[in-house]
Amino acid sequence: MPLSEQQIIGHLREALHVEGDLDGETRLFSTGELDSVAMMNLIAFVEETARIEVRPQDVTLDNFDTPARIVRFAEGQA
Amino acid sequence: MNALTTNVFELLADNLDIRPDKQALVDADRTATYAEVAAEAGRIAGYLQARGIAPGDRVVVHLRKGIPEVVAMFAVSMAGAVVVNVNVQWTLEQLGYVAQDCGARLMIVGPRTARALATAPLPGAVERVLVAGAAPETDRFDAWEATRQDAPGAQVPRLDTELAMIIYTSGSTGRPKGVMLSHRNIVAGARSVARYLRLGEDDRLLGVLPYSFDAGLNQLTTMMLTGGTVVHQPVAMAAEIVRTIRDQAVTGVAAVPPLWSQIVRLLGESPAALPSLRRITNTGGKIPLNVLERMPALFPGVDIYLMYGLTEAFRSTYLAPERFGRKMGSIGRAIPGAEVHVVRPGAGIAGPGEQGELVHRGPLVSLGYWGQPELTRAKIRPCAELAPLIGDEPVVWSGDIVRIDADGDLWFVGRNDAMIKTSGFRLSPDEVEDLVCRSGTVGDAVAFGVEDDELGQVVHVALTPLEGFAEASLLGHCRQAMPHYMVPRRFHLWAGAMPRTASGKLDRPEVVRACRARLAEPALDTQGGRPLDRPRDAGTEISGHHAPE
Repeated sequence: MPLSEQQIIGHLREALHVEGDLDGETRLFSTGELDSVAMMNLIAFVEETARIEVRPQDVTLDNFDTPARIVRFAEGQA
Repeated sequence: MNALTTNVFELLADNLDIRPDKQALVDADRTATYAEVAAEAGRIAGYLQARGIAPGDRVVVHLRKGIPEVVAMFAVSMAGAVVVNVNVQWTLEQLGYVAQDCGARLMIVGPRTARALATAPLPGAVERVLVAGAAPETDRFDAWEATRQDAPGAQVPRLDTELAMIIYTSGSTGRPKGVMLSHRNIVAGARSVARYLRLGEDDRLLGVLPYSFDAGLNQLTTMMLTGGTVVHQPVAMAAEIVRTIRDQAVTGVAAVPPLWSQIVRLLGESPAALPSLRRITNTGGKIPLNVLERMPALFPGVDIYLMYGLTEAFRSTYLAPERFGRKMGSIGRAIPGAEVHVVRPGAGIAGPGEQGELVHRGPLVSLGYWGQPELTRAKIRPCAELAPLIGDEPVVWSGDIVRIDADGDLWFVGRNDAMIKTSGFRLSPDEVEDLVCRSGTVGDAVAFGVEDDELGQVVHVALTPLEGFAEASLLGHCRQAMPHYMVPRRFHLWAGAMPRTASGKLDRPEVVRACRARLAEPALDTQGGRPLDRPRDAGTEISGHHAPE
């Protein structure tokens, strides 16, 4: 199932309690907004929702720092 | 090596005559030389002094890992004030509690925290907030750039016995406690660690652990002491860490068990040559044996150090890398300049093969807990068993049970208060977890005791399953690998990642609390049953909880 930016943003708000403005280009990890616990939670969400496997070497800022990058990564893995 | 350094500000300042233009700190988007760090710290110290911050005043630093955080810490020290570095992952509520508890007069925070603080009265005795960035348009908030108007600060001399920092630790019960560290604790700690890790001017240590954690602070203090460089790594992604080690020619990495497990998994799948790396260190808990065993092959030619410490005594023991192969999993012996004894209260000092409580003596013994004299006297007190050797000198009682082997190396057994008492045996949760993890199908495991009418307690294990996990085969593995009284009565499958403390360690109390809460629900009462013999129902699942807010 394709993963959308809106799904990711919804998860960030509901499960991870991220407040304030959030869009596809919001930087999540390089700004310190999310910590490593939240990172593992988000990866589990992406794996479940997009039905893909995220390998340790895929967990980089290039693939995970913004909702848009996560969507692009998930599309590439599907 | 800056031989004359006796206080925290001198750790930085003693480099200025020798290597002003050397790179001291590396952030993702900028670097700073020793002279630049000192100039910026001097400016912020001037700001603090202009706002009336006097020697001994507490100043909270709550910033993301980076150059401004280091500048803020040294600025506070330069003014003779006390640094209270609060982990940036702590919530606003925790931050407010700490500020109030330590009676801080000023806080140095990031723009996001400042915006949140501006919506309510400032906590406790806080009068002003300095923002590392733009400040809210509100009275009592000052922007970093506005400090340029202030004259540089003057260094206030401090005795090395005086209070330098307070490190707040969240214990398993109650509110966080502030551990008071003197300048001597911090400088002696840096000297000891630099000696056994063989650190020098050409070292570049990765800074991934928080500076609000004693083991993380040591990367900064040892590099300042030896004139080396700290490369900041604010994002704890294994792949990003490996990339930084390679791109920044990092020579040493200190991390905690969950991070090592991730890095080992990553390197196992895609090995990387890391020629600059000389040493790696672990602290903050035991790395599972199956992960430890893979490390020498994944880090060829790299010294592997296993360390042990508690904030109240700063750092205590390390296993020398030469003995890693033979003593994998041991916490080794006392670090240079500290003494560690294993005490059996009422029975004497433990000999080979015996176990007892680890006590720590020497210049790293902290000044105790801020504002809590009774707690301090309970934690740091004389030891009757050691009286023939050291009289009534107070030592730190760690609360940790260790075993001493025939060579004098120590092995962590468990927390004194976390031991599981079942059918007359005292079991360490770590021992159970180690054996569970050896199945290879479990990521994280937390063992705990649950009250039982017949046996006193029975063993339960919360775990995160890996690929290939099956409850029946894990139970088979346990029955083979464990004595019968240790075999878990019940597994609690944890969905998602287990919660971590802000310094990255497993949040064991939170895991145990969530599992116990589930057990308390009547529908799940398994009294008298053998829950593992029937198919697991959905009720045994625990949805993983989530990030700190």
